[in-house]
Amino acid sequence: MKKRVVAVFMSAVFATGLIAGCSGSGDTDGAEKKDKDKDVTELSLLVDTANASTAGFEAVAKLAEEKLGIKVNVETRPGGTEGDNIVKTRLASGDMADLCVYNSGSLLNAINPKEYFIDISGEEFADRLDDSYKEAVSVGDAVYGVPYQSSQAEAIMYSKPMYEKYGLDVPKTWDEFLANCDVLKEAGETAILGTFGDAWTAQIPFLGDAYNLETNAPDFAEKFDAGEAKWATTPEALRSFEKLADTTPYYNEDYLATTYDDGCDMMANGEAGHWFILSKALTNIYDLYGDKVNDIGIFGMPGDDAANNGITLWYPVAIYGNKNSEKQEAILDFMEFYISDEALDAYTEAALPAGPYCVKGYELPSESYDAVAQDIQSYLDSGKTAPALEYISQVKGADCPTICQELGSGQTTAKEAAEKYDKDCEKQATQLGLKW
Amino acid sequence: MNRKKIYSNWFMVPAMAVFTIFFLLPMVISLFFSLTVWDFHSFTFCGFDNFKTFFSDSSLYSSIKNTMIYAVLTCVLKLFLAFFLAVFLTSKIKTKNFLRSVVFFPNLISTVAVGITFCALMHPSKGLINHVIELFGGNGMDWLGNTHTALYAVILTDVWKGVGVATVIFIAGMQSIDKTFYEAASIDGANAWQSLKAITVPLSRPAMNSVIILSFIGGLRTFELIWAMTGGGPGYATEVMASTVYKQYAAGYYGLSTAGNVIMFILIAILAFPLQKFLLSKEVD
Repeated sequence: MKKRVVAVFMSAVFATGLIAGCSGSGDTDGAEKKDKDKDVTELSLLVDTANASTAGFEAVAKLAEEKLGIKVNVETRPGGTEGDNIVKTRLASGDMADLCVYNSGSLLNAINPKEYFIDISGEEFADRLDDSYKEAVSVGDAVYGVPYQSSQAEAIMYSKPMYEKYGLDVPKTWDEFLANCDVLKEAGETAILGTFGDAWTAQIPFLGDAYNLETNAPDFAEKFDAGEAKWATTPEALRSFEKLADTTPYYNEDYLATTYDDGCDMMANGEAGHWFILSKALTNIYDLYGDKVNDIGIFGMPGDDAANNGITLWYPVAIYGNKNSEKQEAILDFMEFYISDEALDAYTEAALPAGPYCVKGYELPSESYDAVAQDIQSYLDSGKTAPALEYISQVKGADCPTICQELGSGQTTAKEAAEKYDKDCEKQATQLGLKW
Repeated sequence: MNRKKIYSNWFMVPAMAVFTIFFLLPMVISLFFSLTVWDFHSFTFCGFDNFKTFFSDSSLYSSIKNTMIYAVLTCVLKLFLAFFLAVFLTSKIKTKNFLRSVVFFPNLISTVAVGITFCALMHPSKGLINHVIELFGGNGMDWLGNTHTALYAVILTDVWKGVGVATVIFIAGMQSIDKTFYEAASIDGANAWQSLKAITVPLSRPAMNSVIILSFIGGLRTFELIWAMTGGGPGYATEVMASTVYKQYAAGYYGLSTAGNVIMFILIAILAFPLQKFLLSKEVD
């Protein structure tokens, strides 16, 4: 009898513990509601560490707190594969923050935004979005996001002092580019800086070739989405992989262990001739080394035609509103505010842009890094820009970084890599329910 | 053994409930989902397409090969190292307890932390290991960047971390060996090598079997260390089964990654059960 009493008592204790544990999260909700009464709405924002706490965003967030009474609490997540994993899991489990920063383009397509994000196509501020960017944050007719930062060039950075020292000119064709690399290599310099320690950087020579691909084969993206064209069998597309393969002999010795952060240091200190990278690296270099950033110039991936030189633009990640949050109104207010002229001014004042904003009628400020204000701007002026392929096409294979890392380090041939990537894209197409 | 049962079968209920809910049920569910394309909300049945995709993927074969190399090598290295460490640590040395702690210590650190640390130590231009090699006039190498050495570099790290547990198991096994065997042997004039071969090895067989099984299965399922040190790279050079499956999952191919898990489960079962059976049949009392 006594035992039974003890048993009942113990069960009661455990049950109480369980209930207490579960109700823990409920309490915090209560606390948030209290804040609402004080006219400060708190929104949580999930962002990857690389984009978190940028001076520009902080400036806008501060302004939003003053003007709108909306306080944004930043939660950080890792980038890369882990980051994708976290975003997808939190979306699926209904645990997403009020605002989510995530890629635009085909990667957005892959997380099924219809289920999770607020459609802003009916909102007035959605009309402010640049048309091709709007395309990149849309799936079907629904529009989901506003740009988190300025767009970037996906191109080649070069060291101006090194170009002067060896009497080199900005190359107009891919062959000229390789010839420049040969000159640097023979002189014992690092011709191309490789930062394959962060696998995503290995994709840039391949993805950055989009301008050439899109001008040489304008219907590739469409045919590719329809399952008719393949990377391995379309010569213009295969060319992008071939270019990546061409770079193999020119990298620094420890390029497989060098990370993006190391790369910023090396580029700023003139230790390498070229770097295939996104122009946001300028911001990082400026933060670390100040005016040394102006020793760096940028040119687009050269094609095979000297008369047609353009640059590939990388659209910014976007802020998406959580459809299942209770604070819809505040979320929309914040998104509207985020792309207002006022907010963009604040953003620009705190951090110089690494490329054009994706907002209609908002001009790239003339005051920026030389590489942006002169080099990238000249491409914009002549209209020779194209968005990276993943903003036009629906399908991007998830294993792209690994395949490019493998090719760039000389383990496969361009043809093999293209075939692998085709297979990888096929998996994505299956998941998206496309009939290939 | 036909003794009357003392305990009621109801005692099994809690354990069985936990086992069913957290093991059997998920297994059946995952078997089902491995036959579908799903995104947490809806699924379409696709037969064995996921398995076909998996088996037509060239990276799967290299990942199975890498997993086998990893499992066998870590298992063998741990076995030999741990055995001799245990012999040494059960002998009459003064700092025995201290040394035992030292050997066991790496096991207390989180695997990811070990991975990050060794990654830094093995850095081709800034790593301590290469600095030391260069100090002695050698030429350092890119341990994790070279496709031929990357996997072995991770294996050595795994051995460094895992040898402690194996040693502890061996020590326990050796200490339970009756001292009179050694006395008898020494009276008969056996030298140290002979008594090691004829007494220690056969009588620490149960410990040895535990070490083999544990480290072999551990090697087959390995993930954290690979992920922290190379992320499966460079390219696919150090991809193992678990990292392949994880990548499919992170990419959002849930059906495909579930199929990968089923394949991995079957492979481990096929390898581990016969191994265990074989090892147990060799045990002596």
